[in-house]
Amino acid sequence: MNDPLIPFRLQVFAVSVLALFLGWVVLLIRRRRLSLTESLSWFLTTLAVMAVTVFPESLRTISHVLDIKIPVNAVFALAFLYVGWNLLSLTLTNSTETVRLRRVIQECAILRAELDALRSPDANQGRSIR
Amino acid sequence: MRVLAIIPAFNEAKNLPRLIQRFRATAPQVDLCVVDDGSTDETSAVAAGLGATVLRLPSNLGIGGAVQTGYLWALRHGYDAAIQIDGDGQHDPSFISSVLAPLEQGDADVVIGSRFLGAGGFQSTQLRRVGIRYLSWFLRLRCGVIVTDPTSGFRAAGKKAIALFAGIYPADYPEPEAIALAKRSGLKVLEVPVTMEERQHGTSSIKFTGTLYYLIKVSLALLLLPASGQREMISDSKDP
Repeated sequence: MNDPLIPFRLQVFAVSVLALFLGWVVLLIRRRRLSLTESLSWFLTTLAVMAVTVFPESLRTISHVLDIKIPVNAVFALAFLYVGWNLLSLTLTNSTETVRLRRVIQECAILRAELDALRSPDANQGRSIR
Repeated sequence: MRVLAIIPAFNEAKNLPRLIQRFRATAPQVDLCVVDDGSTDETSAVAAGLGATVLRLPSNLGIGGAVQTGYLWALRHGYDAAIQIDGDGQHDPSFISSVLAPLEQGDADVVIGSRFLGAGGFQSTQLRRVGIRYLSWFLRLRCGVIVTDPTSGFRAAGKKAIALFAGIYPADYPEPEAIALAKRSGLKVLEVPVTMEERQHGTSSIKFTGTLYYLIKVSLALLLLPASGQREMISDSKDP
């Protein structure tokens, strides 16, 4: 049997930090400060990291499959994946929101012009916008 | 044929009066729509005072978002054609009839006013002309469209193009990408000669240092165009 990849004390610490992080996310969702849809990515990836921490031997399997010489390097690879995935999901949300916001701003301008036209004296004299 | 002129304007209060007066003199039948892209000067008041429809964007969207607002207005109000003309006074409204002619004859869906087809006038700096030639080449390579002045903001769009652009329009530096979008959507793109002038007041939205960024951004946008099998759909409905 090999030495444990993660010492027990570190394992307890890492799981506690991850649990606290998940608890914080849950709290934010319950207080309606975070939408479940947007935080799903954080939720699932953090659970995956927790699973790896609880079962560190999975790192040996991952490094074996990916042909990574030292299992600890698999940790770095997974960490990059974790951050990269969540950043991409954030950028995706941001892009969607930008498109939506653009349309709302455009609709505002159009409605404002139509309202101005209706309020103008000309509108009362039969000239109306089509 | 009901025609709307879309004039995107950002802090163009000084340039607008001359442009609108020239418009009234040369194309009185065209309705004017000034899209105030979050100006901090008197652009809206000046345009409204001169009798144009003013679409005041509550926040700055950039040229693409501003122009698209005009196309949305044209679509909602049933215009047959829309002319895009810059608010800085660089474009000569006396060329409106020649830009509209191919649309009226059914020869094109999008007409670009090109300053490089022998009409003379101001033809930009040498560095920018090199960039423009490169973009022409790239557009031809990427979508087979032959355009000599892909960055020209003087253009006309027929009903199909209005519907397309109201739904989808590139955000920043949109001119070359909009040509590619039109071509890929099966629209006919044509060029006619126009002359342009140097702007009267203020500065261009694209600075000297920004030219390289412009070229890189537009090249990437053209490179990443949707595959030909996934052409943008043109809807005939009034609301995109």
